[in-house]
Amino acid sequence: MGRLKPLMVRQPRIFWRKNYIFALALALLLALPFIFTARFQHHVMIKVLMFAFLGCAWNIIGGYTGQVALGHAAFFGIGAYTSSLCYIWFGLNPWFGMLLGGILAVAVSAVINYPCFRLHGRYFAIATLALGMIIRLLFTNWRLVGGALGVRLPLLPESLWNFQFHTTKLPYYYIALVLCALIFAILYKIERSKLGFYFRAIKESEEAARSLGIDVAKYKLVAMSISVFFTAMAGTLYAQYVLYIDPISLMPLMTSILICVVPVLGGAGTLWGPALGAPILLIAIEYSRAWLGGGGRGVDYMIVGAIMVAIIFRPGGLTSFFQGPRFRQWWKRIRG
Amino acid sequence: MKLLEVKGLTKKFAGLVANDSLDLEVNQGEIVGLIGPNGSGKTTFFNCICGVYPVTKGSVRFEGKEITNFPAHKICKGGIARTFQLVNTLMNMTALENVMVGAFCRTTNTNRAREIAEGILEFAGLPEKKDILGGSLTIADKKRLEVARALATKPKLLLLDEAMAGLNPTEQKEAVELIRRIQREGITLLVVEHVMQVIMPLCERVVVLDAGKKIAADVPEKIANDERVIKAYLGARYYAKRATPRSE
Amino acid sequence: MLWGAIYALVAVGLSLIWGVMGVLNLAHGDFLMLGMFGAYWLATLTGIDPLIGLLIVTPAMFMLGLGIYKSLITRVVKAPRLTALLATFGLGIFLRNLAHFLWTADYRLIGNTLVGDRVITVSILGGTNFISVPKLLAAGGSLAATALLYWFIKRTKTGRALQATAMNRQAAALMGIDTERMYALAYSLGIACVGVAGVLLTNFFIIFPEVGVMFVLYALVAVTIGGFGSIQGALIGGLIIGLIESIGGFVGIPALKQVLVFAVFVIVVVLRPQGLFGWAD
Repeated sequence: MGRLKPLMVRQPRIFWRKNYIFALALALLLALPFIFTARFQHHVMIKVLMFAFLGCAWNIIGGYTGQVALGHAAFFGIGAYTSSLCYIWFGLNPWFGMLLGGILAVAVSAVINYPCFRLHGRYFAIATLALGMIIRLLFTNWRLVGGALGVRLPLLPESLWNFQFHTTKLPYYYIALVLCALIFAILYKIERSKLGFYFRAIKESEEAARSLGIDVAKYKLVAMSISVFFTAMAGTLYAQYVLYIDPISLMPLMTSILICVVPVLGGAGTLWGPALGAPILLIAIEYSRAWLGGGGRGVDYMIVGAIMVAIIFRPGGLTSFFQGPRFRQWWKRIRG
Repeated sequence: MKLLEVKGLTKKFAGLVANDSLDLEVNQGEIVGLIGPNGSGKTTFFNCICGVYPVTKGSVRFEGKEITNFPAHKICKGGIARTFQLVNTLMNMTALENVMVGAFCRTTNTNRAREIAEGILEFAGLPEKKDILGGSLTIADKKRLEVARALATKPKLLLLDEAMAGLNPTEQKEAVELIRRIQREGITLLVVEHVMQVIMPLCERVVVLDAGKKIAADVPEKIANDERVIKAYLGARYYAKRATPRSE
Repeated sequence: MLWGAIYALVAVGLSLIWGVMGVLNLAHGDFLMLGMFGAYWLATLTGIDPLIGLLIVTPAMFMLGLGIYKSLITRVVKAPRLTALLATFGLGIFLRNLAHFLWTADYRLIGNTLVGDRVITVSILGGTNFISVPKLLAAGGSLAATALLYWFIKRTKTGRALQATAMNRQAAALMGIDTERMYALAYSLGIACVGVAGVLLTNFFIIFPEVGVMFVLYALVAVTIGGFGSIQGALIGGLIIGLIESIGGFVGIPALKQVLVFAVFVIVVVLRPQGLFGWAD
């Protein structure tokens, strides 16, 4: 019956309702650090944003294009090391270092990941896993970059330009928020563009994709490059936040796994997946670690493990709960 | 004008000769049929032309230019599109999105791709199904979608691999209608088929394969009565039986 | 070099599970760890020597494998690849950290084993080499177990049923094989294997929650080199890794021998994913 009404009449109402919700969410995110003011809570919030960002980056190659990469922590590390060392050795500003880190990560990934693209799912996954391990081991044993001892960033007076803040960690939160907004916007655009369609086609059927004029290897490389570029950027953020980086805490297998689980938990290949997965996973980890007494009792990762197993009961991730008919009806109602 | 020219195409798989020195020509505007019993190498032949398999020997020329062993995506960009024997629908994308993927071959703009896709869905007779997920379509619609998707790449030559398989007679009639409409658009067709009632009225020329070799190439009426073709499909004994007049 | 045999036994279990049901059991190393802890607690609390404990732990591991299969793995088999991979990985992470939680990260060692720390001297090529008896025993035991499994798979009716199920589940079912039982059997056997390896290791190796991580990665490499789904492939793969490690140990920095193993792994995966004996997935 609604189809008889001309669209023009309905549109303004939809527009207003949906944007109302978004505006509310945004306001909440901006105000969050003032609602929860403890330092630890800020720390968790920053971590959540960082992993949401990382999850989005992984989603590009893993969720949309369907190539499960389990070695992303290596690129996270490359970003962190590049910006930090470039500052220490050449005095390069960390913001430029961030971009340079991204570029370097893309270069490295092009070389080591490209030959892996002709591998099917499982093989690609374990190949990237092994490559990630190799890179971590190399960094651990490379005296030039500090080896196992890592790199300590010199303390600078706090400023946006210096990318360091000491009295409060809040600015990191807002920087992370901006980065998240950036990557969500970019993903939104990609989803609707030729790239997005091609990525999804590759995931569904490489054979069909080729027959439709898609250069599969090239597009896998594009997806990987975008993914890795942003992953490295997050590495710089982390380095500037913690001001100390070392291979063991920066690039363990667990980080690669978390980068992958965050979007899968939320819903691989969906825009909002990482936004759902990151808070749940990270809050569970950080709080279980804090409440059950000093690190090393393993409960935090037990939860991660349990969640990873639980995903098989709902492979579509959390967003799949929002795709059922009942939710759709509810959503339609509030949209107007 | 010779659109597709295949000379001496040979394809070996570790000792098994799937295609043995095949020659084929397709002229602009024709519908050429390719028939043969199961295992005669028809799909392999398609795969060789389309760059899915590298050829062992021989050459493929399209519009006069060498395209032998070109990668599959380049061949599509060059103007040859194909469908698959086992439908290769992009399951988790809607019908419209499926066709849009094809349309993106010729444009970068999403809105333009959507327009083209909607137009082609209309042409192929699937406009109401555009928002249904590929995986939820019936087999007949999936096949139709695959043709539509291939058409979106604006091919000059369309290779159809057993488009009729799994369709009931009504659906087959509709498929033949679609193929005729495609021809009217100026697209040349090379059709692999098993269903004789479809091939004979549709094609201007028919090529017959058996065990990797070309055994006949002629107009449909002559092919239907060709002794080699009958032997290939039904066996030499049947042919002998048929040739012997039966006493009533 | 003796390590190769032990890696092989671990790899064989992994290969069996993969071959029969297509599941990459990334929790494999953590079952190794559980086997080791099983032997440890048995020895510490009841004084039963690991070599005898083998007879207790192995069936226990089999039952554990069965339990895990029935509760989780049936789902994993049906899940899409990505989530299946994460699920077995998650199981491993869970087990590892459970051990961490229950028993802390302390390194443990079983003292006073029957086998002890005896060392035999062997003269090879002029130089004298010291071979530790427990290590030799572990290697020998691993080879024996592998051989036993091989015999079981190739010569017994059940073993052949397993092979059939591995090659084509539907065909096997049509021939009257209870493929569900075969899956359960394969998984439990795989876990039992790794349990044996674990117990043998406790004679000389330290026991701690993270011990399984490197083993499962090495097993993965072994299975890749040898070919997924092939027992002899896993064996040879394991031996090759043992060899690479020895070479790496001789030539370069000890830490880099791991890099060498992984590098070989990547090269093999890229150039010949189906390995030496396996069939491509």
